[in-house]
Amino acid sequence: MLSLQNVTKLYGTVIGVNDVSAELGQGAHGLLGPNGAGKTTLLGLITGQLRPTIGSVNVFGEAPFGNRRILSRIGYCPAADLTERNATPREWVTYLMRLSGFDAAEAPRRAARALDEVGLGEACTRPLSTLSKGMRQRAKLAGAFAHDPDLLVLDEPFDGLDPVARHDLVHLVRMWSQTRSLIVASHLLHEVEALRADLAVILGGRLVANGSASEIRELVDALPTEVKFKTSSVDKLAQLACGAGVVETLYIPNEDTLIIGTRQAGRLADMVAKAVHDGLVVREVIAEDRTLEGIFSRLMKLHRGVEQ
Amino acid sequence: MKDSPQTADAYDLPHGRPPEGNNFAAIRAVTGFQLNRLMTKPRIAMGLVGALFPAAVMFAVIRTAPINRDMTVAMIYALIPEALCVLGLLVTMCPVVADELERGTWIHVTVRPGGRQSLLLGTFAAAVIWTGGVSLVSLMLTLLIAQPTQPIGLVVMFTVLIGISCIGRAALFAVPAVILPKRALIASVGVALVVEYFAGLLPAVVNQVTVSLRLRSLLVEWMAWRKDLPIEMTLFVDDYSAPVQIAAVCILVCILLTTAGFILNRRQFPPSVEN
Repeated sequence: MLSLQNVTKLYGTVIGVNDVSAELGQGAHGLLGPNGAGKTTLLGLITGQLRPTIGSVNVFGEAPFGNRRILSRIGYCPAADLTERNATPREWVTYLMRLSGFDAAEAPRRAARALDEVGLGEACTRPLSTLSKGMRQRAKLAGAFAHDPDLLVLDEPFDGLDPVARHDLVHLVRMWSQTRSLIVASHLLHEVEALRADLAVILGGRLVANGSASEIRELVDALPTEVKFKTSSVDKLAQLACGAGVVETLYIPNEDTLIIGTRQAGRLADMVAKAVHDGLVVREVIAEDRTLEGIFSRLMKLHRGVEQ
Repeated sequence: MKDSPQTADAYDLPHGRPPEGNNFAAIRAVTGFQLNRLMTKPRIAMGLVGALFPAAVMFAVIRTAPINRDMTVAMIYALIPEALCVLGLLVTMCPVVADELERGTWIHVTVRPGGRQSLLLGTFAAAVIWTGGVSLVSLMLTLLIAQPTQPIGLVVMFTVLIGISCIGRAALFAVPAVILPKRALIASVGVALVVEYFAGLLPAVVNQVTVSLRLRSLLVEWMAWRKDLPIEMTLFVDDYSAPVQIAAVCILVCILLTTAGFILNRRQFPPSVEN
């Protein structure tokens, strides 16, 4: 369905996407990465907004940029908020359907049906400026799938939605992905996981990992965790840790700090607890950041070959 | 939120391959949408002020001293097809890309098959309709105040001149609008001054590619002024017949719109600009 071959996109001297290669088949795919990672640029390349500086992008076997046949098979919901103030959701989605080539009779029918699906049936005659961000988000989503594309591309689709609306739209999008293809970009892991999509992690414009959610988790869990100890007995603690066989890396940045890299954080914790019980003084223990940003950072290190 | 379906089969969305775009339907859609955008109170007020301006100038002039029919025609020509049309098109045609980027609608439009072309041609049509409409209202008001003899003939002639001015200049402004969307207004003012009001008045080959030469030539021919023109003034008009002048404008419009379309089809904006 999607083939990216050494795709690089430069904006002058700024790198948007850097040497990305991937083959994605039919089904649901999540594109995960922090803000500024290059997700929107990659989606721009997939949806024919942008042309790669180097490499090639093929969707359904053809380059999408300026390709009417391919563009007609893609639905795109961008991340940016709709600021078309005076139009109503019905007018807006009908307009998009007319741009997709539907005639004056079919376009409003499709718009009404799609708006109904996203729960905007009753609010579809109110100007967009009077709707909440979540409602505008739904209007955008309706515009993306009302022409019945084969590939739906969503950029941060659940941004600004309340939990109930988020749950409903996740369900709607998941249903969609059972019969057609879906690419969802998000910086929130749980959003992508909820769609039961395969994951691709993008960082600094590079694709650093891909696979199922469980495979990504296994990859992250297999990375050494760094734990920093503040103690007056650095030598003794280092000796104990090495003796216990839990050390991957060991670093003493100054006389009262010890940083241990380990894949067996549980065993290290047990060892330290026993040492403290036996009289070793440990003033501070700081485990590495396990938030998503921390995981991104570690995947980036892995990608660069810093961590093996 | 509507109850979500439980299976994919029950998912009630229209199926069937979407069309690969219908240019004419899309252009009409963009035209209608852009005209709706222009129908806001500030834009209508601006249009009214624009329409009243030539009438007010005419009123001030004829209050000072009565003027003959030829002078009235020359004034109307300078105020409406030359000035008001250009001002109206600067407001309506220049933001063809910038407005979409500012409103966050550029991505929505350009991801549609033929969206870029439809945006250009639809906005072109809307700009011509809106500016032409304002100019015609202004023409009627000005003629009411001036009360020249044989007003019907003047209405017909100026309607054609307004139409040519709007179509030609909208196509002219489309080019800087797609090349420099963020500076489209400044660029278009520059183009208007340099191309239309400077190059157009040069007695050289370069004036052949300007709309102003065609308009002046048509005015001179239809008013039968050619035989009375001072010899030095003949340098600023063309000898070709009206159909040739109109055909020349049509060719120029096709070239300009094709160029603008070619450039627009290749325009790419980083997400930071779009957002």
